[in-house]
Amino acid sequence: MRRVRGDGSPTVSRVRGDVSPTVTEHVVAAALASLPQVGPQRLRVLVNELGANNAWRTIRGEVPPTPRIAALFAQHDLGRVWRQSATDQLLEQIAESLTTSGMSVLLWSDAEYPEALRGDPSAPAVLFVRGNITALRHRRVGVVGTRAASAAGRHFARRLSCELAANGVAVVSGLARGIDAAAHLGALDARDSAPPIAVVASGLDVVYPREHATLWGSVAEYGVVLSESPPGCAPDAFRFPLRNRILAALSEVLVVVESRETGGSMITVEEALKRGVTVMAVPGAPLSSTSAGTNQLLSQGAAPVRDATDVLVALGLNHERHRSHRETRIAPSPEDRVVLDALVQQPLTFDQLVQRVGLPIQEVAIRIGHLETQGWITANAGWWEALVSR
Amino acid sequence: MSVFATVRSTTLLGVVGRAVDVEVHVGVGLPGFTIVGQPDEVCRESRDRVRAAFLSRGFTWPNRRITVNLAPSGERKGGSGLDLAIAIAVLIADEQLPPNVADDFAFVAELGLDGSLRGVVGAAPLVGAVRDRRVVVAASNAASARAAGASDVVVASDLAHTVACLRREASWLSEESAAHTNVLDHLPDLADVRGQPVARHALEVAAAGAHHLLLVGPPGAGKSMLARRLPGILPALTNEQALSCTMVHSAAHVSMPASGRVTTPPFRAPHHSISLVGLIGGGTAAMRPGEISLASEGVLFLDELGEFAPSVLDSLRQPLEEGVVHVSRARTTLTFPARCLLVAAANPCPCGAGTPGVCVCDDAARAKYLRRFSGPLLDRFDLRVSVGLPQVDDLVDGVPGESSHVVRQRVIAARALAHQRGGGPNSAIAVDELDRVAPLSIAARALLRRELEVGRLSGRGLHRVRRVARTIADLDAAAEVIGEAHVATALRLRTSLAQLSGGPR
Repeated sequence: MRRVRGDGSPTVSRVRGDVSPTVTEHVVAAALASLPQVGPQRLRVLVNELGANNAWRTIRGEVPPTPRIAALFAQHDLGRVWRQSATDQLLEQIAESLTTSGMSVLLWSDAEYPEALRGDPSAPAVLFVRGNITALRHRRVGVVGTRAASAAGRHFARRLSCELAANGVAVVSGLARGIDAAAHLGALDARDSAPPIAVVASGLDVVYPREHATLWGSVAEYGVVLSESPPGCAPDAFRFPLRNRILAALSEVLVVVESRETGGSMITVEEALKRGVTVMAVPGAPLSSTSAGTNQLLSQGAAPVRDATDVLVALGLNHERHRSHRETRIAPSPEDRVVLDALVQQPLTFDQLVQRVGLPIQEVAIRIGHLETQGWITANAGWWEALVSR
Repeated sequence: MSVFATVRSTTLLGVVGRAVDVEVHVGVGLPGFTIVGQPDEVCRESRDRVRAAFLSRGFTWPNRRITVNLAPSGERKGGSGLDLAIAIAVLIADEQLPPNVADDFAFVAELGLDGSLRGVVGAAPLVGAVRDRRVVVAASNAASARAAGASDVVVASDLAHTVACLRREASWLSEESAAHTNVLDHLPDLADVRGQPVARHALEVAAAGAHHLLLVGPPGAGKSMLARRLPGILPALTNEQALSCTMVHSAAHVSMPASGRVTTPPFRAPHHSISLVGLIGGGTAAMRPGEISLASEGVLFLDELGEFAPSVLDSLRQPLEEGVVHVSRARTTLTFPARCLLVAAANPCPCGAGTPGVCVCDDAARAKYLRRFSGPLLDRFDLRVSVGLPQVDDLVDGVPGESSHVVRQRVIAARALAHQRGGGPNSAIAVDELDRVAPLSIAARALLRRELEVGRLSGRGLHRVRRVARTIADLDAAAEVIGEAHVATALRLRTSLAQLSGGPR
């Protein structure tokens, strides 16, 4: 096992020569990844073609550059910029942050490097990992969607992910707000059957958005969180589309739960289509802008997702294995059902709801209370939404 | 030879008048005219107005040394209301008028250069400070001066007329009092609001229990329209309330009804660019009451709550709690009334749509927007109601809702119940009184317990919900004990502004 933690376990391949013995090739690769103006492409040249140690020495001027590298150094004066940054101090810093944050580093050449990414034309040369990388051995389905999701969308994403996980399928998502978070929460609900997988844009020690700190921790504990950004790296806007390509590459099937016509989810869809990954979409109300993107995908030929069985069939799994979601909520009384039915059609304010059902205010208030307690409806910034699949 | 005279007048300090004795000494020396006793700039200029008025009306200006003292001399005097008193005092001191002729009078009017009498700002509080005397005022101030409850207000047209009346050679002008009408019925009527049953109910609850109300809804939902209908369902002002309103409005020089008396609960809707001093009151030279005091006994409406400067909104908290504003400056500390019902309107999110599926704001933009409302101020709103766009059917074919008159009767009945239980409106029930005043049925208790357990309700929120539930039960004319329906409705009238977090459990 050559997967290496920053603490320098004995299986580490040592760097010979001037660098200190605790600094491994993996730490050097991580340091290369955190050099200024190093993107996935340049990192591939440095780490995959040249080898991390060799690249480091070349940058330091200890080894003469090959013509290919010399050409790279000449671009934007990169040779000088990198030489200034590539210090022993940087190595120590990286080694320390890898140790303290419990991250490990995977190189493209490592045996543990995910097979789904190895053949990818734009595979990240260096992957940072928190958690158990063996999570990727499961069947994997990406569940993505908009950050500004409706409550119903979040509810569906959570239930779908829970059912997929319960059937042994690992759910891959991006730990963003909205659908992503709901997908991870659902996967965590059934974590005993399949682990959650997250691909994030920032460094693994930079939790973004901050309110998801607990969620990050849980995903790393029961599954794995991946990033190609080095420790300490901020969630810059340009990193998100790059992250989406890894997310797409790791998914065997990509499910879009809710999305507008443009946005991060649609970028993930494009990356998935480039890689021949099946894209599926959850149908939504024609007038709902959070479903505009998914409905567009459906009209372009994406397969619809009505429940987890649709996804399991697309994965080629025996759909009879699908353990159906057991409805644990108490069935609403006939009186309460009237209110629920009104909300299933569209979200309503209390005011609109009272008018729609034509009952006294106090009567509707009591029924809302029942339905909310039983988990059939939820309040969302002044609107009531039904938590039943449309 | 009488060279000395004292005449009574008043000056304005905040929203109260202070009696001032105008002492005039006419003596030997170089001709001159000095005013002492801390007059402000306007007051000091009165020497020129008084002299010009004398000459235009054919009085002789004493070419001697004239000293005017405004007693008590330790306090700063402002405004032009002392003009007439100074003129009369000079006339007495110069023996053009017999001594003691003005002993039973007080004078509150500005002089024009032609000798005519002009109205002054704050006639009601000014006259209120000299209730024991006959007060001479300009015609335009007569109505508000009478509204202040002064026993005897008389009107003169100009300086010569005043002098003639004092000599009993002419009679004061008569002033017919404005006819009293039921002015509450002229306010915007709640019947104009079609549909929106919950928003209407929230207004009723706000009026009955004096609960502050926040209306959240997209532009065009009718938030302002609803707010403007709140004064019409408030109980009519009592005499004391009307007097206090009149004093404040007069002192701030805002337009008043022809009767000179504020008789309906005021409605103030300051623009969101308002400064802290504009809202709370104060200023350097003249301490002016702010919008919160002008809205006292009525409604303060803050449209576009998110656009107000945060410091301005924060300054509302203490006055709302105490019912008064203390304005402290280097020289003085004044107290203004601030017993207003706060109604605020806000968009649900930056894009204004709010509706899930239509709103284009992401969580971050929404969270940033919500941070603009200070949490402590949001806490002051017992009622937070989402108002949706009215439906077309309601606008075109809808039957008019109940009229303000009908709703007001219920509000008055509910307030009477609150009064019987002891004192103030339901929004002011003390926490330790809640169990006695607002006992809960078993089902209501269970409902609140559930809300607390799942964390949808905080301890402070619990008290507020119980107060609102008390009001709802009062409006129902229901039993002493608050039922599940009342609590459920109170909970529903307290929408959380925050969107569901997609975050961890």
